[in-house]
Amino acid sequence: MSLDFVLVCAFVGAATGWLVRRWIAAARRRKEGGCAGGCGCATKVGKKG
Amino acid sequence: MSDPAPNLAVALVGNPNTGKSTLFNALTGLRQRVGNYPGVTVARKSGLCDLGDGRKVELVDLPGLYSLAAASPDEQVVTDALAGKIAGERVPDVIVLVADATNLLRNLFLASQLAELGRPAVLVLNQADVAREQGLRIDTAQLSARLGGIPVVLASAWKGEGVADVRRAIARAADERRLLPPVVWPANIAAALAELTRAVAADTGSAVSSAEAQRLLFDTNATLPERLGWDKERRDPAIRAAREQVRRSGYNPLAAEPLVHYERLRKALEDVVTEGTGRAGRTAAVDRLLLHRVLGPILFLGIMLGMFASVFWLAKFPMGWIQAGVDALKGVVGPSLDATPMLQSLVTDGLLGGVGAFLVFLPQILILFLFVGLLEDSGYMARAAFIMDRLFSWCGLNGKSFVPMLSGFACAIPGLLSTRTIEDPKARLATAFVVPFMSCSARFPVYALMCAAFIGPLYGPGWESAVMVGMHCVGLLFAVPTAFVLTRLVLKVKPQPFVLELPRYQLPKPRDVLWRMWQNAAEFISKAGTVIFAITLIVWALSYFPRDPGVADRVRAAEPTASAEVLAARTQAAYIEQSWMGRFGKAVQPVFDPCGFDWKITVGVLASFPAREVIVSTLGVTYSVGEGAEADSGHLQQAMRDAKWSAGPRAGTPIFSLAAVLALMVFFALCSQCGPTVATLAQETGGWRWAVGSFLYMTALAWIVAALVYQLVSRLAPPA
Repeated sequence: MSLDFVLVCAFVGAATGWLVRRWIAAARRRKEGGCAGGCGCATKVGKKG
Repeated sequence: MSDPAPNLAVALVGNPNTGKSTLFNALTGLRQRVGNYPGVTVARKSGLCDLGDGRKVELVDLPGLYSLAAASPDEQVVTDALAGKIAGERVPDVIVLVADATNLLRNLFLASQLAELGRPAVLVLNQADVAREQGLRIDTAQLSARLGGIPVVLASAWKGEGVADVRRAIARAADERRLLPPVVWPANIAAALAELTRAVAADTGSAVSSAEAQRLLFDTNATLPERLGWDKERRDPAIRAAREQVRRSGYNPLAAEPLVHYERLRKALEDVVTEGTGRAGRTAAVDRLLLHRVLGPILFLGIMLGMFASVFWLAKFPMGWIQAGVDALKGVVGPSLDATPMLQSLVTDGLLGGVGAFLVFLPQILILFLFVGLLEDSGYMARAAFIMDRLFSWCGLNGKSFVPMLSGFACAIPGLLSTRTIEDPKARLATAFVVPFMSCSARFPVYALMCAAFIGPLYGPGWESAVMVGMHCVGLLFAVPTAFVLTRLVLKVKPQPFVLELPRYQLPKPRDVLWRMWQNAAEFISKAGTVIFAITLIVWALSYFPRDPGVADRVRAAEPTASAEVLAARTQAAYIEQSWMGRFGKAVQPVFDPCGFDWKITVGVLASFPAREVIVSTLGVTYSVGEGAEADSGHLQQAMRDAKWSAGPRAGTPIFSLAAVLALMVFFALCSQCGPTVATLAQETGGWRWAVGSFLYMTALAWIVAALVYQLVSRLAPPA
């Protein structure tokens, strides 16, 4: 296995992991009633009554 | 050391756009976002305010509202807070009513209703500087005397004028506890209110206040009966009988409340406000033109066309500089990674090809938001909303629906969240369903790429901006009939009245406009450096692997006489075709063939389902990797212009024909390609049913319309 391949796998793996973590965090925020994120908006809304 | 507990609780209420949040900032020193539209001040905000006499009060900034009759979720917060019905919250000791000094009669309607709550009050006449400019003179002493002696203060929170007077007035109101005098109802209405109060007590055992009795009598969509637990079978005859009693006194029960209040307010304001000559006449004259039934929409269209034409024209040079910078970076980084060809491809074809293709649109985004900022801050955007509202009300949507839909033009998510301001659940659902149709800013880079690469060079800059405006209208074109069917046939939404504030015209503040530009640019750059960056890496990997070493030999064997350059390009193309991405794209391509999409566009479309702007970077990667060394030094736009069908009946013709370009843009205008939007729709509608329905409906509609556009335009303008 070349160094080239190892580096590329590390980069792509890190990117995939980061995206998955981000989606999980967004889902958690949505569950709490806040903005899902990703739109850059500053809207913060409390739980629906 | 923490602040001592506040001595008093004070609530700040008022109509939207009266500068209430600005006054809140001035009184508390806290920073808070100030906006014009419902949905901005959804959460209650509080802060400590020093009255200057040693007392500190807890000041609560409540969402703006026009009347206590409001029943939307955020407006409900106001009525609950003022009535002391929020658990754990203090009943306000003093209510500070913020009114627009330039429009006292309408603003005091809320004051007249608040009188029923029986709380000490202060009336702040804000925007006093504008009233002065308009030549209005207000006799505050006389107004105070006619409003039961409550303190009346002139202020201009924006300029910091009169803020100290407001502090003193709060202190005085807390000490003197003077109340706004309640309205004196005509005998039949008073009797109807008393009868309703008795009926509620008899049926539910709970006592209602006079303010609550009025809501039961005058509102058609009040949520109060449900909250009181008043059984529908008992309440309907009681309310009907009470309204019949009102009718006998000569009033329409649904119009009686404003008629009685305004009659009283007109008397209270006699000789209090003296009108002079000022700027009001000019605003009205401009509005007569801009809001004209026929000229208004034409001018609106003209402004939009001018805006997009300027965006393209002004952005042309900085876009060229960014492209040159990306190319120069490729030229420097590429050779330094010659020893590691895989990493070299990842950096040059993947990152610089993909993220670079996306970043090129930064100047257009900046200039677009410069114009949007100028239109918003000058007061024109509210007029544009007024023009659009006519269209929305025609298709049966609640008047309040236009605010979420307008927000949807920036991003669907805040648009969906602001549907919470719509009180009717069915109207809220219908609005949420059509908000994703609005052409959000994520679609902009897709349209911009297609217009810059094909429409502009082929038909000139005029058509470039016309197509851009057209694409922003495509979503509306389908949202309107969709809303019509939903509201009239499926959900059967009842029409609701709607009040829209038209702010005065003013010169935009350069600092505010530039700040908004910067915020949008920062968001765009951060997206390029995070989500687009990460997805680009994955797309690159999928289009690079597996790397079959036999590919080069097979290409050489197939074309033994080809030059080294042609062989290199053919090898690169063969590599991407046999990659995972290539195989997947080719397998799915037949589905998109009627829309004129080849397998590379198909890959771009599929990769864009999490976020639609990903197609730009995906095309950047697939065209960089696939076209080999030749394309590395060129631009994505040129590579796309050169792309031709290699097989089938269209062999040798351009892939990006006019038909395919229009079909692709229409597909992106209508398709539901945004993961967070679908999830937010599920959250706002209380389940996945409507979200999945919206996704399937929009995607199917996008495919059908794109296929129709491709087939029709191919026949009218066949590719050369």
